[in-house]
Amino acid sequence: MAKSDDCVHILQGLLVFGNVVIGMCGIALTAECIYVVANSHGLDPLLKVTENSDIYAAAWIGIFVGLALFVLSILGIIAVIKASRTLLLVYIILMLITFAFEMASCITAATQQESLAPEFLLKQMLNGYESSDAANNSGNEFTKTWDDLMRQNHCCGVKGPSDWQEYTSAFRDTHSDADYPWPRTCCVMNEEQHPLNLDGCKLGVPGYYKSNGCYDAISGPVKAYRGVAWFGFAILCWTFCVLLGTMFYWSGIED
Amino acid sequence: MWADGDHRRVPGDKEPQQHSRPGHRGARTMLPLLLLLLPAARGTVVTVGPEPALTKDPQLEGVTTASTFVLDQPRCVFQNYSDAVIWLVVTNDKDAFYNNATPGTPETAFQNFPDKVSAYMTLNVTLPSYPCPRPAGDITVLRVGSETSCAKDMSRPTCNGPLPGPGPYWVKFLALNDSGPVAETSWSMPIMLRTAQPASNISTGSGYRDGMIAITTILSILFAILLAALLAMLVFCGSESCGSSTFSKAESVSVRRYNTHHVYDQPCARL
Repeated sequence: MAKSDDCVHILQGLLVFGNVVIGMCGIALTAECIYVVANSHGLDPLLKVTENSDIYAAAWIGIFVGLALFVLSILGIIAVIKASRTLLLVYIILMLITFAFEMASCITAATQQESLAPEFLLKQMLNGYESSDAANNSGNEFTKTWDDLMRQNHCCGVKGPSDWQEYTSAFRDTHSDADYPWPRTCCVMNEEQHPLNLDGCKLGVPGYYKSNGCYDAISGPVKAYRGVAWFGFAILCWTFCVLLGTMFYWSGIED
Repeated sequence: MWADGDHRRVPGDKEPQQHSRPGHRGARTMLPLLLLLLPAARGTVVTVGPEPALTKDPQLEGVTTASTFVLDQPRCVFQNYSDAVIWLVVTNDKDAFYNNATPGTPETAFQNFPDKVSAYMTLNVTLPSYPCPRPAGDITVLRVGSETSCAKDMSRPTCNGPLPGPGPYWVKFLALNDSGPVAETSWSMPIMLRTAQPASNISTGSGYRDGMIAITTILSILFAILLAALLAMLVFCGSESCGSSTFSKAESVSVRRYNTHHVYDQPCARL
């Protein structure tokens, strides 16, 4: 007698709790995706460089999925408390659709991780970056984009100027190691965009060359992006449990 | 701001001809040496100062590259040889070099290194280029391998051209005056240059791929389970409550209680 009531109450309590968590996580997911999209200006030159725009797709889907999760969780709480079969069915079906969308976003974000990895960027840079005269800004698009990135963020290479020393590259094929241990853009420049001290830059004297890599400059948005994938995954696992519980509850109540 | 020994302080290649006479050790006039305050020097070449070493202070990013390396200038080392010209000897076989070699000849030409000769001499300066003591805060280095313009120019045998391979190389400073070699440092430790790996060696993180596969697999399974559960739920429990035994016991009292929570008409007909 009291037992089944307790069972029902416990199940209802659990489902309400589960929905509350889903709602809060939905808001958090929306916030994180908005952060990624808003801070994308740091990623922009890099994305131009990697020619990758799918990264935004996952973030945009994440924003809407987060809001949907929040709204649906409220619907779920109402449906559980009222124990209405219709409402619960609507809730379950809408949740499944949201689940599918979040799945797509998650998988896209996880797939894109690879193209934001430092090793990948390094390989791309070494293969694609060619000559570029700092003064007259010649060279192909890829080179220009990297030059802009290096000038804006005061950085050199992906991990540092030693990238050009440790690996062969398209740049090395056309520029001798003695004259250009690393590209001129890695030198600290004066107002006229000439190296402050060319010998100092070639020697690698601290203060005359840029010693940090460009990957550090973009690691913030990259980490947030990684969060979109893994946080989304965690939300989906939790939602799975709540949905199973809701289905069990639905099959148990009478309308 | 600093003295980079790239630039020779003496005008080019006319200098070496002063040393075109080979200097024999031993039975030669020791007059220039006697004028110096080194009684021990009797025509033998004096070993002075610390051996050449790669620059450690300040830390330079380019201390070794694929074809150049950076040495500390030999300050306060050749103080007693003010009339000598200080040469840098670079070799890949330190036992094969003799101090009686004449700079500026094909035997010590940079362009013939390493195919025809095993050592070359370059970076000749006179003592005023290495003032002693070293001014504090100045960076006094020599960049070996910085002159690319004369690397293939046979008319510049004392070119400080880029090194052809990763090494190892040994270097020493040798002071020559009119009568031949007068002082030298010992050979440096072997200097290895950097070699560049092919860019294709970079492994583009298989860890990411594993993560992606895991996420995709797990999510697909979860989604499939949910769809299956939904189907089962609709098919088996379509219009009637199939779990009624879970939530209601056989006792009528509990059924009545249950009624208060749900809209429930015609209970008797259902039961």
